[in-house]
Amino acid sequence: MKNIIKLILRYHFTIIFILLEFVAFSLIVEHNRYQRTIFSTYTSTFFFNLSSQVKEIRGYFELRQENRKLVEENTILRNKIGVLTDQLEEVPVWDSLHTDSNYHFYSGKTINATYNKTKNYITLNRGTEEGILQEMAVTSIDGVVGIIQNVSNHHSIVLPLVNTNLRVSAKIRKNGYYGSLQWDGKDYRYSYLNDIPFHVNVEQGDTIVTSGFTSIFPEGEVIGFVETVDRETANFLTIKVKLATDFRKLSNVYIIGHRRKEEKRELETAAYDQMQNNE
Amino acid sequence: MNNSKYLLHLFCLCMIQIAILDNIQLHSFVHINIYPLAILIMPYKIKKVTVLFTAFLLGLVLDMANNTVGIHIAAATFVAYIRPKMLQLTSNREQVDDIPGAGLNKSFGWFLKYLFLSMLAFHTVLILAEAFSFANFSITLLRIVCSTVVSCFFILLYYFIALKKKQE
Repeated sequence: MKNIIKLILRYHFTIIFILLEFVAFSLIVEHNRYQRTIFSTYTSTFFFNLSSQVKEIRGYFELRQENRKLVEENTILRNKIGVLTDQLEEVPVWDSLHTDSNYHFYSGKTINATYNKTKNYITLNRGTEEGILQEMAVTSIDGVVGIIQNVSNHHSIVLPLVNTNLRVSAKIRKNGYYGSLQWDGKDYRYSYLNDIPFHVNVEQGDTIVTSGFTSIFPEGEVIGFVETVDRETANFLTIKVKLATDFRKLSNVYIIGHRRKEEKRELETAAYDQMQNNE
Repeated sequence: MNNSKYLLHLFCLCMIQIAILDNIQLHSFVHINIYPLAILIMPYKIKKVTVLFTAFLLGLVLDMANNTVGIHIAAATFVAYIRPKMLQLTSNREQVDDIPGAGLNKSFGWFLKYLFLSMLAFHTVLILAEAFSFANFSITLLRIVCSTVVSCFFILLYYFIALKKKQE
């Protein structure tokens, strides 16, 4: 105690100086809006980092519990899968699984396909006899394949994602920003998503899904995953997307028809015409 | 220099600073501050802690006048803190004994060195406290140097007009 007092007496000048500077800086932060903003930015970043670190470390202690929970959940899910597989064998129609009654699913098989041109096409073994119409969507179990372009009685031609003529309205699943997906005609494994504003946070591995705007595709069908993100123009990002569908080994596909597409189109055309007349 | 004369100088410097120099906008890079001279020319016999508190009050007055709470306090207190070290650094024992006594006349070079270094320290703290970040550090540095040079010029004017004449 004596030593502490001695120390304080010896360095009282410096201690008083530090106290006064402390008062000065607390006044600065307290009363100046600009400095307060900067100060709070730094402190909040610091404490945010600290708390996230602590959270991460704490997560390790709960791993055992989490594992047990996941195993329990897995068993429940596996039981459900078993029940559903049994039901599926009894009811072969695909759309019984889909609650979204706006869309009807048909199964199909590819019988001819190209993947090494800039204008690739896929031929399917389904046609008007089976109820296939133009502009229906085609997906596989992995992701989106393309759109039906021409239909004959027993066959149909698909305009796949790997055709430079096709543009699909797509969005980033995690934040909902949408743009248009177009192939560049080079590698059948990759396509490009354009028109995403530069401020949007996109990372490698993010999922790109269909936006559902055109009513061809149901919303949320997986198109692919973000491979790289470039900022080529000033305001928009160019996102290289690894397509979920492998076009080289595509075999079983699902053709999706929108039941109320005509209704929706008529409504939109009517609204558009009315707007034109008003002007 | 006795205490009453010193108080007169203190008052004059404050008034000049608040009434005239704070209204001059030379450039956004240049702050003209001559009031730290009041801390620098304080008689050496005054206790160091007293100097510190005087500087604090001086800074507070300037802050209230400028509506920049805390910035001048930080800078002025810092100058008061480094004043003893600065005196030891720039001079020998004889000069220290009578600042700013008669010896000032002969050792103008010493005064200039002492003034410039102190003002540099003052503006470093002042402008860093104002910018409050190390972003665009080159611009901050330029502002410090410009402000120091211009302020030193104005202080020398005051020195030649008021201080030096009295000593003769």
